[in-house]
Amino acid sequence: MSAPGITEPAEAIARARAGDANAWGELYREYAPAIFRFCRRALPTREDAEDATMEIFMKLREKLGQYDTTRSFTAWLYKVAANHCWDILRRRKIRQDKETEDVESVPLEHPDPNQLDKLIEQRTSEEVRKALAKLGGRARMALVMRYYSDMSYDEIADALGVRRAFVGVVLLRARHELRQALEGNAALAAGGAS
Amino acid sequence: MSEAPGERMKHLDEMTCLLYIERQLDRARALEVSAHTQECEACRTLLRALERESRLLTRAMLEEDEPLPSRLAQFQERARRSMQWIWGLAFGLAATGAYALYTQYIVPWQTELENAGFGGSNLLNLLIFQGAFWKGWQSMITVLEVAALMTLGALGVMFLRRRLRRGSALAVVFAGFCAALLAMPSPASATEFRNGTTIEIHKDEKITGDVYITGERTRVDGTVDGDVIIFSQSVDINGHILGDVIAFGQSVRINGQVDGNVRGACNNLTITGNVTKNATVFSQTFTLDGNGKLGGSLTSFSESFSQDGSVGRDMLLFFAHGTLAGKVAGAVRAKGDSLTISSSAVIDGPVRFEGHKQADVSPSAKLASPVDFKQLERKPEYLKGNYYVWRVIWTAAFILLGLVLFFLMPEFSRETIQAAEHVGLPIFLGILVFFGVPIGAIIVCITVVGIPIGVLTFGVWLLMLCTAELVVGAVVGTWILGKGTTNWEMIGRMALGFVIVRIVYTPLAHMHVVGLLAALGIWMWGMGAISVAVYRRFQPMIPPGAPAAPYSPSPMPPNTTVGGTLPA
Repeated sequence: MSAPGITEPAEAIARARAGDANAWGELYREYAPAIFRFCRRALPTREDAEDATMEIFMKLREKLGQYDTTRSFTAWLYKVAANHCWDILRRRKIRQDKETEDVESVPLEHPDPNQLDKLIEQRTSEEVRKALAKLGGRARMALVMRYYSDMSYDEIADALGVRRAFVGVVLLRARHELRQALEGNAALAAGGAS
Repeated sequence: MSEAPGERMKHLDEMTCLLYIERQLDRARALEVSAHTQECEACRTLLRALERESRLLTRAMLEEDEPLPSRLAQFQERARRSMQWIWGLAFGLAATGAYALYTQYIVPWQTELENAGFGGSNLLNLLIFQGAFWKGWQSMITVLEVAALMTLGALGVMFLRRRLRRGSALAVVFAGFCAALLAMPSPASATEFRNGTTIEIHKDEKITGDVYITGERTRVDGTVDGDVIIFSQSVDINGHILGDVIAFGQSVRINGQVDGNVRGACNNLTITGNVTKNATVFSQTFTLDGNGKLGGSLTSFSESFSQDGSVGRDMLLFFAHGTLAGKVAGAVRAKGDSLTISSSAVIDGPVRFEGHKQADVSPSAKLASPVDFKQLERKPEYLKGNYYVWRVIWTAAFILLGLVLFFLMPEFSRETIQAAEHVGLPIFLGILVFFGVPIGAIIVCITVVGIPIGVLTFGVWLLMLCTAELVVGAVVGTWILGKGTTNWEMIGRMALGFVIVRIVYTPLAHMHVVGLLAALGIWMWGMGAISVAVYRRFQPMIPPGAPAAPYSPSPMPPNTTVGGTLPA
């Protein structure tokens, strides 16, 4: 997994692990904007995102000693962030999703590719962000983990506490929800094109 | 889709397409999908659409539409940790303060009041059931309804607080309170309002229900079957009041019959008539005339106190100079500069006097027991040992208040501290608020109709006054430790700064003019900052004019094939 547009500063990470406050400051300045944006996408309000960003970095600092240097720092960072945001959402029980892990209930219909293509083409980034804000906690969280922080299916399964095989279902349903929010077109969302 | 139903069954489902573009299918299944999409136009289009959707999602999420908030500009955990010991101390002091307040102030006062004329009744009973505002259980239903509504409102605010952080829970509380005031039904009884330069209730006039009177001169010669509440320069009550008299005026004389209680805050209060129940008086001069008769107890806070008439129960007195010359059926507890007990005095209970010199007791006075005198010490407050203990306790209590306010209104508290960091504007606004709001509240109050709003305004002003020092403390704490980010960090700074302000201010407070100026400075600065924060909160939001940062393409997640060749 790679961080969006960030090259990992290995030296600063090593110094921060050794307790260098300045190095930690460097890491914070480097990663805080990305983590804030992650939280902003995952959580309902800006204030939540601000609070969560601070809390995540406090956790990160406490857990820095546990970080396995052979693995990607960014991946570890996003994992902590995802767990924290999902904890917040779960605690609040905001718009609890009704999904079960019943893969059989997933619509396996073939949506109209042309309509879907048209919908995607017509929408701007801003419209997508607005639509994302309307999604349920799990749907939004899944999309953010996958398409913002590029987390693997295993990592998403771990963060959301679902089986790995169910991650695809969660993502597909999240896309359906997003399409509904974008267009309000139930046919597209449910894949009901004939 | 134009395919026939038979063909349609062969199409790939969306789940499979998604897993394919996400590279989550095993090799054999991926090859099947690849082979199928080479022949099937519809499935190829679907794959492309899903990839475009992935790309749109990634782009939308990566775009930096909001810059990093200023409060996140720096990581500040060190300060938070360093403040932890202060919290232990503050909580300990607060707990001590609460206990000390109860044992040192509340219990002795309760005992004193019980001893001083409210025989057998406790303080709660005195304040509620014997009070002038007790209208019987029927009216309690309304009170309970209002209390229930307020509780519901508070719960609602707590529930919505997260959603209303920007929109301000404060605004909701105020709006709710105002709505409650407007929506509250007027009392069912026939309450009468009279307003004018001279108000007279004539001898043959009888009013049933309560009467609110405002005017320069008031004269009541008739009968009122209810309470009389008067705001007037000069008041003469010669008639018969079946309820209580609550009077605010320069000169108040009660010559007639009052079946209830008398409560007064005035310059001069004279009772020459007959009051069946108790009297509570805050005045410069209080006189119970030789013909005057008080059936119950008397509590007086007066500069000059004179009693010639009779009192049916105990007396609790605070005065500069007091004279007792009438009959008292109960005990007397008095505190003041000097006390004279004349020859005509008859006191059936014990007399206890705390003063600067011995009471001057006439040998002819008939006392149940000699006066129990306690010398008041003249040494300054700050030379007394418990002065410093109490300063510490009050400091802890204020910090506790600050903590509660911080948690009730975290965003507003932050904004207030930010506003206070710029000294000039808050002090200027503080001067206006400090002097202007009480004057405005009084003007609103004396129009009678505006009493609730006036009292509410004055209450808010008092709260601002109490919290002003906390605001200044928070700014001082921020200067010392740098900006805080989390609530606890900011509360820690407020606590530290407040303690420093107290330490600096305590010696200044005893240097008359300097102390006064320091207090005014703190009050105006803090109140001004609160006012600036309130003003900004209710100011219309200005839409952000600056365009969002231009989007610079970032690396795409490797699991997607967006922008590359189609897998088919």
